Amino acid sequence: MPGPVHRDRPHFISDKWEAKMTSTTTTTAAPLVECRNVWKVFGARSREAIAAIREKGLGKREVLADFNCVVGVHDASFTVAKGEIFCIMGLSGSGKSTLIRLLNRLIDPSLGEVLVKGRAINGLAAPDLRALRAKTIGMVFQNVALIPTRTVLENASFGLEVQGVPPAERRRIATDALTRVGLADWLNRYPRELSGGMQQRVGLARAIAADPEIILMDEPFSALDPLIRRQLQDEFRQLTKSLGKSAVFITHDLDEAIRIGDRIAIMKDGAMVQTGTAEEIVLNPADQYVADFVAGISRIHLVKAASVMMPVADYTAAPVADLARTGLDADIDALIHLVLASPHQAVAVAEGDALRGVVTARTLLEGLKGDAAPVAQGA
Amino acid sequence: MDLTPWIQAFDTSVDAGMSWLTDHGGAVFDLARAMLEGTFDGLLAGLLLLPFWVVSIAIGLLAARSLGWKSGLAAAFGMVLCQAIGLWTATIETLCLVIISVMLAVLVGVPVGVLSGYSARLTKVLDPVLDLIQTLPPYIYLLPAIAFLGYGPATAIVATFIVAAPPVIRLSALGFRQTPVEFIELGEATGAKPLDAFLKIRVPFALPSVMAGINQSLMMAFGMVVIAGIVGSGGLGETIYGAIRKLDIALSVNAAIAIVILTIIIDRISQSIGPQVGEKT
Repeated sequence: MPGPVHRDRPHFISDKWEAKMTSTTTTTAAPLVECRNVWKVFGARSREAIAAIREKGLGKREVLADFNCVVGVHDASFTVAKGEIFCIMGLSGSGKSTLIRLLNRLIDPSLGEVLVKGRAINGLAAPDLRALRAKTIGMVFQNVALIPTRTVLENASFGLEVQGVPPAERRRIATDALTRVGLADWLNRYPRELSGGMQQRVGLARAIAADPEIILMDEPFSALDPLIRRQLQDEFRQLTKSLGKSAVFITHDLDEAIRIGDRIAIMKDGAMVQTGTAEEIVLNPADQYVADFVAGISRIHLVKAASVMMPVADYTAAPVADLARTGLDADIDALIHLVLASPHQAVAVAEGDALRGVVTARTLLEGLKGDAAPVAQGA
Repeated sequence: MDLTPWIQAFDTSVDAGMSWLTDHGGAVFDLARAMLEGTFDGLLAGLLLLPFWVVSIAIGLLAARSLGWKSGLAAAFGMVLCQAIGLWTATIETLCLVIISVMLAVLVGVPVGVLSGYSARLTKVLDPVLDLIQTLPPYIYLLPAIAFLGYGPATAIVATFIVAAPPVIRLSALGFRQTPVEFIELGEATGAKPLDAFLKIRVPFALPSVMAGINQSLMMAFGMVVIAGIVGSGGLGETIYGAIRKLDIALSVNAAIAIVILTIIIDRISQSIGPQVGEKT
């Protein structure tokens, strides 16, 4: 099995064009969350297993065979930048739920370090850990976990209540949070009176009411029907961005990860197989497992002009100056419209005033088909 | 192999232990007896001070509040019936015995149940003890009680307490153990202090189960309190015991009717108290 692939640059360029592309922007701020070589081993002999991993570098299979211990998280390393939505995608049993619980120490890592705002949380004393959970890291659960004997408002203000915020104040803040998720008319209802989607909105309101910097989302929308799920995905992304929050979002649904995540990590058997933007993962899967996963993903809104264009110099069918122009971020859907509208069936891709490449009907088709590198010939 | 000498030695040591306890722990048992009988006499005197119709109406209102006016009316009528068959004092005595025993059972049983709900190790120790208590015939508990506390209501209360405590312990433990894991995580993930997590998450989920335990405890207590008539507990139990000795069938039937009335009223009222999770509007 190939080792985990980490690509931390926000913009991806297919290998062939990498040399010609210069527009990589890098995030300069220190990461909000950082996982360094984190392992979680479950089982009666986990201590011995950890020692063996540390000394002999045992893998998941050997640990199970030799110590009868299950490796939940296998040497995971990643960072989450401020304002970023980081999706962790994996099937059930891939260790994603364990991983997210390591970030607020609902589960203690067996090995490795988790840093939040540059501070290692492994050794935090109970009061500091409580403060971290209360103020910095919020969490939304798959099964919502609304207390049935409390009203919607009382549920949304739960976090504030245990922090000791005075009643009037927490009422105001929770009402505000519920208004943001569109539940202003439901404050005094009980959870059982709400639909699944509305209940999950309350869960989200409860998390944002405490005004955390990071929200951990543990498969929050998995149990919802597809239409509501898409609606909540969009609302969640919008809300998180507008509030300037960061989020770690767990899902088993690649479409959801692509829709929501700024970056996506794919997990398999506890290990992170690939980390990158949606475009990066779809265009350049790290291994066959990821390739099988992304095979069915529609590229039409995912793949951007930067990945389907040819070098300007290779385009000879018409003077480049005659072509309509578009930006690097135009997706295939937009490019198809532009190319069809163009008398030359081509469109120039520019970054500011500088021309970066040309998209033709042929490069579009190749991009859609999935060859990583378009052939450098005119249409 | 002849085990007789061993058995005799065992019996002798049990007897010796008992007499050692009565000799050396006499003051403690006297105090316990005084406290239990004092509480009993005080509560009884208080309730008997009121005319029967005031108590009947009060119980009727209590039933009406939690069960509706029809039940309230039936409860009040039942209490008046107890007076009509001439068993008012005995009925109230029985009620006092049950109330005090169950209050003791709750006072001891809920905290023990909570601890047991948190600690698997305590549960492991406690379970066989509770099994034993619930397997032995309940009147067994009258023997040690009478040895230490003598003939009278104190013995009845202690024996009834022993029988009434296990359901409270078991169902409290179950209630606190059964808090869904996502809610425990919620408490942790929101940074709730242990006490807050207990009061605001564990308790609401455990309450229905604890209430069911108290209801069970009341029912066990009603059963035991009749048996305890044999040790001079007073109340309907003693009435029945006396009636049986005199073969007074009519009186024993009357007392049985009073027991049934009281049991049904207390059962229904105690079942309806306490929030049912998810049913509150």
